[in-house]
Amino acid sequence: MLKINNLKAKVEEKSILNGFTLNINPGEVHAIMGPNGSGKSTLSNILSGKKGYDVSGEILFENSDLFSLETEERAHKGIFLAFQYPLEIPGVNTSVFLKTSLNAIRKARGEKELDALEFLKLVKQKSKDLKFDEEKLNRQLNVGFSGGEKKKNEILQMSILNPKLSILDETDSGLDIDALKIVANGVNSLRRKNNAFLIITHYQRLLDYIKPDHVHVLMNGKIIKSGGPELALELEKKGYESFS
Amino acid sequence: MEEQLKNDFEKSFKNSNFSSKSISLKKEFLNKFIKDGLPNKSLENWKFSDINQIIKKEIGDLSFYNDISTPNKIDSAIYLNGLEQNSIVFINGRAEKIDFQFEEKNKIEILDDFELNNNYSEINSLIDLNSAFVEKSFKILIKENYSLKKPLVIYHYTNKKIKSKNINLRLNFILEKNSSLKLIDVLNDISEKNFINTFYSFKLNQDAILKNYKIDNKNNNNIKYSFTNIEHEKNSLSETFIVSSGSNFNKNEINCNLNGKYASAFINGIFSLNKKKHHEIRTSVNHLTELTKSYQLIKSVLENEARAVYQGKIYVNSEAQKTDGYQLSKAVLLDETTEFNAKPELEIYADDVKCSHGSASGSLNENSIFYLMSRGLNYKEAKELLIKGFLLDVVEKITDSEIKNLIKNIVGLKE
Ligand SMILES: Nc1ncnc2c1ncn2[C@@H]1O[C@H](COP(=O)(O)OP(=O)(O)OP(=O)(O)O)[C@@H](O)[C@H]1O
Ligand SMILES: [Mg+2]
Repeated sequence: MLKINNLKAKVEEKSILNGFTLNINPGEVHAIMGPNGSGKSTLSNILSGKKGYDVSGEILFENSDLFSLETEERAHKGIFLAFQYPLEIPGVNTSVFLKTSLNAIRKARGEKELDALEFLKLVKQKSKDLKFDEEKLNRQLNVGFSGGEKKKNEILQMSILNPKLSILDETDSGLDIDALKIVANGVNSLRRKNNAFLIITHYQRLLDYIKPDHVHVLMNGKIIKSGGPELALELEKKGYESFS
Repeated sequence: MEEQLKNDFEKSFKNSNFSSKSISLKKEFLNKFIKDGLPNKSLENWKFSDINQIIKKEIGDLSFYNDISTPNKIDSAIYLNGLEQNSIVFINGRAEKIDFQFEEKNKIEILDDFELNNNYSEINSLIDLNSAFVEKSFKILIKENYSLKKPLVIYHYTNKKIKSKNINLRLNFILEKNSSLKLIDVLNDISEKNFINTFYSFKLNQDAILKNYKIDNKNNNNIKYSFTNIEHEKNSLSETFIVSSGSNFNKNEINCNLNGKYASAFINGIFSLNKKKHHEIRTSVNHLTELTKSYQLIKSVLENEARAVYQGKIYVNSEAQKTDGYQLSKAVLLDETTEFNAKPELEIYADDVKCSHGSASGSLNENSIFYLMSRGLNYKEAKELLIKGFLLDVVEKITDSEIKNLIKNIVGLKE
């Protein structure tokens, strides 16, 4: 599904990713762990098409070259990034935004756009599943949301858009233990044979709830070790130092 | 220009029935205007918008005589849809229709005889120009305790019959005690390269309420200036909302005198400008007695060599204790060719007041655009959504919900 080959990324002559290689197959859950500043968010941003990086290497998503696709085209193809720091968008109603987003994607895929009623039904169900306070749907997008509420809103968006590849950039940071379980359940309930997850986290705790197939350690812009779920436990015990 | 002014002036009262007293007063105004000329950037108020230069460049020579002897046909397409309304229609400066169909006839008095005074002559030479050439000065009086049932829409329409002309309009409104009026000004031009000079004065007696929505959103090549004076007596309220977008140049000046306790003035507005347009809003809110309040919020979205200017002054005299004055302007510059000039001014002579002002401008946040695009919106959609969001809070200030929806439609904020 996703093939990243020897990806390098620089910003203003500073190298952030230094030959990053990763394969994700449909149905898999990959976890990436790595110290602050190792390039995790940069990787997520590049996968989603953020501008401003000097990149080389290759990224294929379902056999098409990602670099040739705009950010929104990647979203249309089913790439979703749950942001580490979701942005506040003043004056834009959360529910209106969700509907605009869903319908933009449906339209691009040649699917029928949802009308107000159909959308309402969907968003109500999804909010309920994620215990997302419905009252917040009528507020301005992320404005005045708590850190945890913003993260939950990302997962709500993910579950409504139902992407093929979901990248979760430290979604667990800032969540209380109940919210963590809900988010994990949300992810697990979306797991299918034909979709995949890339989960970026600092904490093994999340991986107790979402069982990854592969765990990778990222340091200095490169994967230095890969393994199964046991690697996360080892990291938790020994810290990153022991891998460097 | 002097000769043109004199000749046009002679023509302008040949067919009119001004009294000899009016004519001599008008002559005084003319001479004063000839002496001062059009305002230019050497004057503090005009330093960001040199209207003398602008008229020279965009129009060239102006003529000042406007023949209003023949009526114009009203194209029904000019009316705002879906709004029950009273209306006054001006076409090329001529009042074609005055219609208060929704109101009790004895509650509104309309006089169109010319009535001049020197009260405003000090403000600037454009007021003198207006006084010298205006054909009819309308006075509309709303009787005590009467609230108009429907808004009054004044259509300022121009067509191709005029070019390189100066049109002067003048309306005086008197709102008697506890009366109220919602007034929508709709600017709509098919004509090109004219200079339209409008002067409104409002007298709000005790407890009176005025809501004035000024909408300039149709693209046109005209140059406009509008001066609005609002006198506030005790516990009266004015709400002014400006949509400044369509004309090539437009300067709106709003002067509010808060003369009576508990009087309040709200001035909010939007500049939405592109294609080298240059607009200005200049306000001065004068707190002249204690316990008065003012609020101003102006938001701008500029692109493609557009320029917006906001000069906002809050003046508080020494008697005006417990004044509450607020003023904020924010601008989004969509590209580097645009310019936003803000000149906030506080002049305060009382010690127990609450006044603040602020101004900010910048470009759209690229991270916000990326966030929205990562959710499937293209660049243009993301940008538009952010702009709508930016403008929403100022439109939300409109207190009349029907008119708020109308303006949301006009500025593209309807979901
Ligand atoms: N636009 C930028 N300009 C300059 N430096 C940048 C830019 N973006 C990222 N960096 C730098 O690149 C490095 C990697 O940043 P990144 O955000 O990818 O780290 P991260 O692994 O997500 O860290 P964290 O765990 O703290 O979220 C950091 O040193 C960061 O300062
Ligand atoms: Mg990060």
